[in-house]
Amino acid sequence: MTLISERPVIGTPRPWSFPSFERRTVAGGRVIACHLPGRPLAVTALVLDAGASSEPLGGAGVAELVARALSEGTANRDAYAFAVAGERLGATWRASTDWDSLRCGFEVPVGDISGATALLAEAVDEAAFADDTLSRIRDERIDEIGLEMSQPSARAGEAMSAEVFADVSRYHRSDAGDVASLTAITDADIRAFRAARLTRSAATLVLVGDLSAVDVEALGHAVFEGWAQGSGEPAAPDVSLRRSGRRVVVVDRPGSVQSMLLVGHDGPPRKVEDYVAMTTMSLVLGGMFSSRLNLKLREEKGYAYGAFGGFDTRRHGGLFLTRAAVQSDVTIPALADLVAEIERMHAGGVEPAELEQARAYRAGVFPINFAGVMAVASGLGDLVINDFADDHFDALRARVLDVGKDELDASAASHLRPDDLVTVVVGDASGFASELESAGLGPVTIVPDEQ
Amino acid sequence: MATIPHYPHSEHRLDNGLRVIVSEDHLAPVVAVNVWYDVGSRHETPGHTGFAHLFEHLMFQGSANVGRGEHFSVVNAAGGTLNGTTWCDRTNYFETLPSHHLGTGLWLEADRMGGLLDALDQPNLDNQREVVKNEKRQTRDNQPYGSWLEHLHELSYPVGHPYHHTTIGSMADLDAASLEDAREFYATWYAPDNAVLSIVGDVETSAALGLVEQYFGGIAAKGGFPIPPSTAIEPRLGGEVRLTVTDRVPVPRVFMGYRTAPFGTPEFDAMQVAATVLGGGRGSRLYKALVLDRQLLQPSDAVLDGWPFIGGASLTTADLPAREGVDIDEVVAAYDEEVARLADGVSAAEVERAAALISSQWLHHLSSVEGRADTFSQYATLLGDPGQLNDALPNWLAVTADDIVAVAGEVLSADNRVAVTFLPDVADEQEVAA
Repeated sequence: MTLISERPVIGTPRPWSFPSFERRTVAGGRVIACHLPGRPLAVTALVLDAGASSEPLGGAGVAELVARALSEGTANRDAYAFAVAGERLGATWRASTDWDSLRCGFEVPVGDISGATALLAEAVDEAAFADDTLSRIRDERIDEIGLEMSQPSARAGEAMSAEVFADVSRYHRSDAGDVASLTAITDADIRAFRAARLTRSAATLVLVGDLSAVDVEALGHAVFEGWAQGSGEPAAPDVSLRRSGRRVVVVDRPGSVQSMLLVGHDGPPRKVEDYVAMTTMSLVLGGMFSSRLNLKLREEKGYAYGAFGGFDTRRHGGLFLTRAAVQSDVTIPALADLVAEIERMHAGGVEPAELEQARAYRAGVFPINFAGVMAVASGLGDLVINDFADDHFDALRARVLDVGKDELDASAASHLRPDDLVTVVVGDASGFASELESAGLGPVTIVPDEQ
Repeated sequence: MATIPHYPHSEHRLDNGLRVIVSEDHLAPVVAVNVWYDVGSRHETPGHTGFAHLFEHLMFQGSANVGRGEHFSVVNAAGGTLNGTTWCDRTNYFETLPSHHLGTGLWLEADRMGGLLDALDQPNLDNQREVVKNEKRQTRDNQPYGSWLEHLHELSYPVGHPYHHTTIGSMADLDAASLEDAREFYATWYAPDNAVLSIVGDVETSAALGLVEQYFGGIAAKGGFPIPPSTAIEPRLGGEVRLTVTDRVPVPRVFMGYRTAPFGTPEFDAMQVAATVLGGGRGSRLYKALVLDRQLLQPSDAVLDGWPFIGGASLTTADLPAREGVDIDEVVAAYDEEVARLADGVSAAEVERAAALISSQWLHHLSSVEGRADTFSQYATLLGDPGQLNDALPNWLAVTADDIVAVAGEVLSADNRVAVTFLPDVADEQEVAA
């Protein structure tokens, strides 16, 4: 048997850049059209500046309810008829919210993009928001949260947000709301959010696919004609923190065979000056398989199936988070390893070889990440919501290839704050609570799980 | 509705038996490298459940010319992504790379196909055993309803049947796995003549084949593969099997499994269309009746699902989580009514809706080079012909309303199903409240 021991000699990369696209204004609305020849499927979608961070403080989750209500019946047809109309085109409806945007639309065989766009226009313009529909989707959402929160990772995320941000901050609660907030939301609240935020001035129509036979202008008219213009950007949310210093929150789940660990603190917004350095540094810490956290907790210790971490950067703030689900009896040593890796990065920065790998991975993976129409549409949505320049992704990639060790080390020193680490554990407290008090992670609060 | 695409490919076989499929796609400068080994959890012997999957982990721990952990770091440094998965009928390994790195992917796959034993040692096995046990805890044991799959397998296939146990296996068997087991498993199953290699993307076929020959050509064929345990089984269950599990779960939820003909048969294809009419998408019958009209069921875009197994019988599954405060028996009764109503016929419009949805889901699945490479490997490994990828959609589109009524009557019958009902542990809730 012969295996080739020499590593392959690599050829020249085929040049790649983010697909070119055009912006135009149609019927007073913004349209972005990206022609990708040869793709059988296309995307027609709206990206709206109507994310969770623009919700009123008492209305956590209202944006998500609005997103869901759009496909639940219009002036012309009920929820079932609306679903059938799209599905008979082979069109898949997706509507979702995150902190900074509400996105809705279809992936559809390109030959039916006009029909799908007409349905999209009908959803945003003529959705009925009937009383019984709104109460049903609110109740469905509350039930769904029950299912979500029974999962340790979701429950831990909720506890982390609540401990990091003060209760005057929208970031204190999950982006899609919680049972208490949803229960308090009225039909009038839902309609009010729609009226305030689902406006032409907040919207961009994103079209991606083989547009060679598509009348972009006509699709823009179909969506934006007659839509209320609206005005103004939403106010920035309060991002006050609850307190500083290390502390621990344990969500006690007797009988758990694992402890879900989250360790982190608040983080900077998306437009932080050293974004590329900061996020390349966090790739080394916890963003790749070969990152420090995974090598330590998985490949060296066998404590976890995986250990990861990084920054969740939003328009107005964010979080730094590391995570691992570990077998219960190693809760304390696993936490010690997570914290030690954060401290080591904070104090010592990265090794040159680590930087080289993270840079090569991050720059190299662009063509893979943006190969499909959905991914390109998602990227264009990010560009719109953050108000980035047209050459954003190419500039970002160039910057990644150029970022240096000194910059990463400075980011580690400033954006990782070991003294402010919040630790959340979802697990069986009886196995580790006494040791946790003396683990150096700060005062410990144990709360019973409310399912 | 979408037009039916044709994905071109060419098929080759090296002297050592390795089957190779190349499909050019120059839309983006990326390439997918995908290897299927014709070995999965159904090939495991008693006392060794979970071994095929544990072994998959060992394949990432280095080989003759690749250091421990290097498999990941080399692919990442190339700007690529990678993984491997294990299922009842196969184990697959795959990388997506910038296309000029095709050689890197092939070199890595060849090195572990032919040279894994050079790197296999006890510390690696012990470490990955713990990783896999934590994978089982994270994805099953510490998840609400996490045991549903294990129950469906155990109740749908008799003791001793190769599909009776799940791919993740048991903790006791994982604990018992030895280095000798790993060497023997590798020596038995991991060979070019038991594998399919698919390359899809921005490559030129003859150049790609040249690289394949260069890297894989020197690996010896093994032959003499053991005949796997028989998967022969009665096509139907012959009576309803019920299990009730009381556990720490938020709401009552029923998981059902129905024996269905294997992957690649007209019955399995027809059942996929029937499942879409009944429970696929928000325009399906179950969504309308149980979610919208009666508000008994939590919203789901796919109440029914088809699990393609190549031997004996596949499974069609149903997942029915109750709305808060709804009696689970009422959910099941309403579900049964909708299933029964299929016997009255299915309209042309319903068939068209299902066909359109299946078409676009198929296009979506095949739109990425990695999805297409994996599917070529699947059809080559399980059905012996990668070209059947291009027949799949026409086969679904040929299913008629009468076929749907017939297959639903056969498969979705109460005496052909396993029903696993999860109920919240009331005593546990009271304890928490106190």
